[in-house]
Formats: sequence, structure tokens, C-alpha cells
Amino acid sequence: MRTVQSGASLHDATVVLDDRVILRAVNLVVGPGLTLVRGPNGSGKTTLLRALAGLVPLARGDRRASGDVLFIGHRPMLLRGLTARENLEFFVRFRGGDTRGIDGALRAWGVGEDMDRPVERLSAGERRRAALARVETERVPLVLLDEPFADLDDAGANRLRQTIARLGDEVRSVVIATHAHRELDELAKAQIAIDGGAARAA
Amino acid sequence: MITSHRIALVAGRELRAERRQPDGVVAAVTFIAVLVLLESLVVGPQIAREADVAAALFWLALAFATILATMRSFDRELEDDALEGLVALPGGRDALFGGKVLSLAIVLLLVAAVGGILSIVLLDLRIALPVHLLVVVLLGVLALPPIVVVDVVLALRLRARAALVPILALPVLVPQLVAATRGTSAALQGDAVGALSWAGLLFAFAVVYTVIGLTIVPAAIE
Repeated sequence: MRTVQSGASLHDATVVLDDRVILRAVNLVVGPGLTLVRGPNGSGKTTLLRALAGLVPLARGDRRASGDVLFIGHRPMLLRGLTARENLEFFVRFRGGDTRGIDGALRAWGVGEDMDRPVERLSAGERRRAALARVETERVPLVLLDEPFADLDDAGANRLRQTIARLGDEVRSVVIATHAHRELDELAKAQIAIDGGAARAA
Repeated sequence: MITSHRIALVAGRELRAERRQPDGVVAAVTFIAVLVLLESLVVGPQIAREADVAAALFWLALAFATILATMRSFDRELEDDALEGLVALPGGRDALFGGKVLSLAIVLLLVAAVGGILSIVLLDLRIALPVHLLVVVLLGVLALPPIVVVDVVLALRLRARAALVPILALPVLVPQLVAATRGTSAALQGDAVGALSWAGLLFAFAVVYTVIGLTIVPAAIE
């Protein structure tokens, strides 16, 4: 794997959930730009991202991250009962950031007209767009996206591809877990193949 | 950002969601109102008006209302993995417990006010020491959410948590319910020393369980 100055790393990371080994002694260093994690269903992609985010306990090994992490899972992680704008305001305020860019980000992601509707009244695609707008409003050095293309239409997928390319230019680290979207290969600075919980450079 | 600000943000988020989807408040208020209404029918108006009986049923109803409201609060967080979104934030784990307890305490004060007013009006209760009663109810309400939030977090990923949480929570709540009942009864009957003594015990329960929650929940949520 590559050696870089910033991002996150896992060293000998092993994750065991319900007596099942999900990740096996993974060594990984994530640096600036796009890192793709590919693997079949159930191979451990989501757990790898959650381990990088510090969301699962490691049975063995350790994790390091330089700076804050933004993790968006395969569900939008927005609280029902709040509007898209209120959800994003909460996340930005929690990080101590500036909320002035939220309206613009939601408009750019095509949720401008619906930003004041409770998220449970939005479609799955609109919720996904609102969640992905966090990438623009929470300016953290490491972004982890789990199957971010799910529920997106063509326009949303294009917007996401443009955002990923721009994030790479900004020297932020972006890790995307997906089993499809081969068009991302040309943007990726590194690729990791994972199967049965074991990861290797692809 | 300091933790108290983050706790306030989590509590504000929770209360805003509860205002738009007041499932927890409605369930808790309905539950306590029905119990107060049934109380005099089941045991008869004379017995229902006795300070010990009225106080015991009020606190029992409030304990169940706490469990209902807390579970509803976490159910909402589990939809769309909103809880994981909060936990993934820097300091999110530490703010989760405090924010939940704060917002639930505010919700339960509302529920206790409705239940208390219904009890006073429907049972025609005489209050000898209203200020003491307010102190006991305030501290009793503050003592309820911390341990229930801990129980709900511990049972969060269990499918049978709807049944398990009351089983886990109620035995631990017994000392608090006894203290709250005795304190309320003492305030209703004019025993100022007794009411304040029990109020002091409720304060101790609130502090101890809050410290336990602040210690356990950030690790348990993993």
C-alpha cells in the first residue's frame, strides 16, 4: 500500500462481530485523493469503512486518523422529524463550523425546494442527495462514503462524480466502497480489493 | 467545542424532532392520563385519594412513561441510521447520553405536569406543601431518565428490546420509585422534613446514575 502524510490508517486491524471474523488483519494507509474499496456483497467493505471511522471496536490492531472524519453509510443517517436543512445545520454546528453554506449546498444537490420539508417526506433519492451535501458543508480531511450512488438518478450520480473529482483536487482523502461504477477507476489514486474480510491493493 | 454545548445541540435536535413527531409525548401523556382515570374506578374514590396510593400510581405511571418516551426516542434514531451519524461525529458519543437525558427530562416534566394536574383535579387531592411537592416531583423526574437511557443503550441492538428494557429498568428503578412515592406522599400530607429527606435521596439517585451513564454509554454505544 502507499505511504502518505495524511488521511487514516489501519494496522493489523481485525474485527469480530457475533463470533464472526469480518475483517482479517487489514493493513491500510489512506492518503489524499480517491481510494476505492471494491469487493462482492458481504466481503467486509462497510466494516472496513466503519473501522476507519472508528465506529467498530477492533479485536486486534489499531486505527489512526489525522483530523475529523465524515462517514456517510449506505443509509442517509438523517434524523426523521427534522428537515434536510435542520439536519445539516446540526452536523455543522456540532463540528463548530459555519452554517452559511448549507442552503447553497442543498440547492447544488437539487434539494433546494425541499430543504424545509421533514426528511421522512422526501424520496430515498432526495434523502441521499441531502446526506451527500454534507460533503460540501462539513469540511473535514477524511470522507468515507459507503455505496454513495445508491438511490441516485443520473443527474445525482453525475453530481457525485464531479464532487469526488473536486475533493481529490482539494487534497482531501476520500474513500468510497462500491461494487460497481468502474468509471471511478480513472479518478482513483488507489484501489483496494476486499474479499472474505482480507484486503489487498488492487 | 465544549461538551455542554454539544449536549445542548443533541437535546435541541431531539426536542425539535419530538415537536414534529410527538409520538413519545403523546404515548406517555395518554398512558399517564388513562392510568389516573382508571385509578379511582379500580380502587374506589376514597382509597384513590389516599396520599400513598395516589403518589404510588403517579410515579409508577411516570416510570412506564419514561421507558416509552426513551424507547421511542431511540427508535427514531435507529431509522436511517441517524444514531450512527451522531456517534460518528467527534464528541458524538460523549454528547449522546447528556443530550438524551436533558431532552427526556424536559419531555417528562411536561408529562408529569399533565399527570399531576389530572391527579389533583380528578382525585380532588389536597396539597399541604405545594413547594415541597414541586421539589420532589422535579428531582424525581430528573432521576428517571439516566438509568432508563443506560438500559435502552445496552439493549439497543437486541430484537426483543421492547420486552427487555422494562424488565431491565424496573428493578433498578424500584428504590427511586419508593423515594419519589414517599416524598410525594409526605408533601401531600404536610411532612416537610420527610419530603425534603426523600428529595435529597432522589437528587443522589440523579447524580449517581448520571455519572454511571456518562461513563458507560460512550463505550456501550460501540
